[in-house]
Amino acid sequence: MKTAITVILLSLASALTSQAQTTLRIRGSDTLGAKLVPSLAEGFKKQGGKVSFDIAAEGSSTAFTNLAAGTAEIGMSSRKIKADERTLCRSKGIAINEIEIAWDMITVVVNKNNPVADLKKKQIMQIFAGDIKDWSEVGGTPGPISVYTRNTSSGTYKDFMTMAMKGREYGSNSQKMAGNEQIVSEVASNANGIGYIGYAYSGSKGIKVVSIDGASPNPAAVKSYVLARPTFLYTNGEPTGTTKEFIDFCRSPAGAAIITKAGFVLVN
Amino acid sequence: MDSPEPPPRPPLRTLLVRNRKRTVLGMDPQQVIKYFFGLNASTAVIVLVLIMLFLLREGIDFLPTYRNELVTYRRAGLEFCDIIDKPLKEHQSLSSSLRQSVSGSLDTLGKTARDRRDAAFLLKNQAEEKATQQRETLEQALEQAPPPAADKLDILRREQQKAAAVAAASLVYPDLFTAAEKQQLQTEFAALTPEVTDLPPFLQTLAADFTAKDHEARTKFEALVTAQEEFEEAPEGLQEVLDELKEHAQETKEKADEFHVLETNRQRLLEAAAKAKNADEKASLTEEAEASVAEPVNLDERTKELTARAGELREQLENYVKAAEKASASLPQEAGTSAATTMLADVRAKLPVHVQEMRDAALQLDQWRSDKPVSMISVIAAFFFGSQWITNSSWQDFFGFVPLLTGSLVIALIAILIATPISVIAAIYTNQFASEREKEIIKPIIEFIQAIPSVVLGFIGISLVGNLIKDFSEVSWLQWVPGFPIQERLNMFNAGCLLAFMAVPTMFSLSEDALNNVPRAYIDASDALGATKLQTVFRVIVPAGISGILSAILLGLGRVIGETMVVLLVAGNRIAIPDFSAGPGVIFQPAHTLTGIIAQELGEVSRGSSHWQALFMVGIVLFAISLLVNWCARAVARRFEPHKA
Repeated sequence: MKTAITVILLSLASALTSQAQTTLRIRGSDTLGAKLVPSLAEGFKKQGGKVSFDIAAEGSSTAFTNLAAGTAEIGMSSRKIKADERTLCRSKGIAINEIEIAWDMITVVVNKNNPVADLKKKQIMQIFAGDIKDWSEVGGTPGPISVYTRNTSSGTYKDFMTMAMKGREYGSNSQKMAGNEQIVSEVASNANGIGYIGYAYSGSKGIKVVSIDGASPNPAAVKSYVLARPTFLYTNGEPTGTTKEFIDFCRSPAGAAIITKAGFVLVN
Repeated sequence: MDSPEPPPRPPLRTLLVRNRKRTVLGMDPQQVIKYFFGLNASTAVIVLVLIMLFLLREGIDFLPTYRNELVTYRRAGLEFCDIIDKPLKEHQSLSSSLRQSVSGSLDTLGKTARDRRDAAFLLKNQAEEKATQQRETLEQALEQAPPPAADKLDILRREQQKAAAVAAASLVYPDLFTAAEKQQLQTEFAALTPEVTDLPPFLQTLAADFTAKDHEARTKFEALVTAQEEFEEAPEGLQEVLDELKEHAQETKEKADEFHVLETNRQRLLEAAAKAKNADEKASLTEEAEASVAEPVNLDERTKELTARAGELREQLENYVKAAEKASASLPQEAGTSAATTMLADVRAKLPVHVQEMRDAALQLDQWRSDKPVSMISVIAAFFFGSQWITNSSWQDFFGFVPLLTGSLVIALIAILIATPISVIAAIYTNQFASEREKEIIKPIIEFIQAIPSVVLGFIGISLVGNLIKDFSEVSWLQWVPGFPIQERLNMFNAGCLLAFMAVPTMFSLSEDALNNVPRAYIDASDALGATKLQTVFRVIVPAGISGILSAILLGLGRVIGETMVVLLVAGNRIAIPDFSAGPGVIFQPAHTLTGIIAQELGEVSRGSSHWQALFMVGIVLFAISLLVNWCARAVARRFEPHKA
């Protein structure tokens, strides 16, 4: 969010200096909009893109409502568009065009002092569904498990449910946090905490990444990691003009470097 | 009523007044001004009415929408699966107890080995962390393509080694290890380098020790371990059938939903086609609309396929019950530790209840009818007395309001219990005992609290109060406090403290006003009777002002219930009814609130969906609670009002 705000301020500032600019309005997922897209936007402007950005990241669903209403040129989403969203856009005369931009790996983290380093996929499901209640059940130091999840409006919340929990509900003992940062700070301060975050946050202080069935999230082997998912940009029809320039930049080597630096992974 | 004649007006004034006597839109200017002021006053009333209308308009459809959803839930057979699924959850909780009991027992033999292993691994992490900077530089250098010159790498390697050695020396090695082992660990940690990924030999030995001990423990407690495994596996057959049925039911529901969506889409596309100006656009939209035709689902047919398997389900259920009972019977009386034994006894005690519940569920299967109508009363009950608030679910959304309400009420109660004594006593002091100078300092400062934005308080709650409470709860001589040591720094008590702080200005100012309003004559009379200052305060002034104080408390309550930002950030957002069996320690559990859920979820729900309407229903209830509290405050003020002397 903070970066998003800075980018908006920066773009406002630059809009004042050179008037003859177009504005790209980008709306949608906060997994993408918090870090990755703002840094792509900055990179794009640094290499000479004459455009100002207006980025707001309030969740994947807002990408499509904004595209449909014509209030955004680009929508970002951490999940694929749903059929009803596609028709909603279509009925407003907008033909949705999907661009896979990068892969994200949902990373399961525990407190850094937790001796548990590896969990089975089934155990992760049981922990988040509330079946396993105590760390001693998975070989850790005895103590009740505190489960931290994203809130219901997040795309990651739903993705984790389908990918890691076979669609089961989160246990009623789970605590819903607003963002990745909050999950990190709670897990870091609670010796019995467990949560999941985007790979980009996995280097934060006080937490430890848990491998799943022996596999740690690794940018070199994304597709073999069970909790990897693609993220998308959506435009109205084939991109043209500045939109096309920006999308092309995202797919250029310079864009790729920024994507990798932001903790996302490129898959060809 | 014979007032004296007004003195004759001077001619100039008459002139002026007459000159002004013009009409605006056919009205006297005096009249216009009066209406203007009246309009401003009534704006508040109008806005309030508009808010009520808006809330009602958005929320009122909730009950029929939710009813439709519950009808689909029943007709698609999801409810049928839940008859078995719900009681089966108890199996997981019993399993969890057994697993804990097993691991507790195994610990009696393997604990030292495990502690040694864990401590060593922890130390290794710490050692690596302390030398992070040098490690990372070296790692980056190694990953570079083309690799840097060998001598440069050597410098980096040497620096890393030095840092590792310093880190290894600075660690505190626990007494789990003998002096020689400590020495060995230090040597191994000093030799850690990112280029070798294998574990150092002593760490490997420790890991192997633990595996050996664990094996030994498993042999010793074989009866317990086997019984636990049997119990864990008992529901597999039942689960398998149930999963198939659930999949079937879900597919039915999805098909029904899809039909509904496609049908709406078709209407939408046709509408768009009717509006389209371009002929081509029109044709393409119409074509798409034609393509969006879907087959309606025969729900009854599909649920029949479900109910047809009821016999199979019952059979599996009976198998499960028998297997579970058998496993429970073969549980040993004694486990490794007393806590583990208690858990075993607990499982044994709970199992018959669980078995009974499962058998009852089997009977319910027969009575279940997919076409039984869902009455409006049951929908209302499901909202107001439902204990589950599950949204964005892949199975079924439930909007039960009780967990949110309890969260809000407990937090409000904590806040009021803290804020009342502080603000009332402060008000009494300021009003009765403080010097003018003190008053000038105290009043503005307390009133300034109101100016602190609640989001700032929320941050203070996360970063300061939470840690403070947590640290306090770990102090050894405070362990008699129920709920200590606490696990979650974001909890109801934390939120209650901050809300109390926010409520103090309101309660303080209003209580102070109430004391101010006590008629002078009362105080004079008390003084005349020879009462001391304290007697006057506690026997005359406070009782006379009690109505005002009570309504101040109620208005403070209204403020606390409606507060959003602080509870959203600090209360911990766990949507579950707090576990009141924990006694007073319950206040250290996290909870979610009425206001918090609206703030958290309204942002992204699609407009007009049942979830959206449910949030508006919560808003309506919240509004009603606030109105009720305010009305009570007024009623109390009127009821106890002293007769003005």
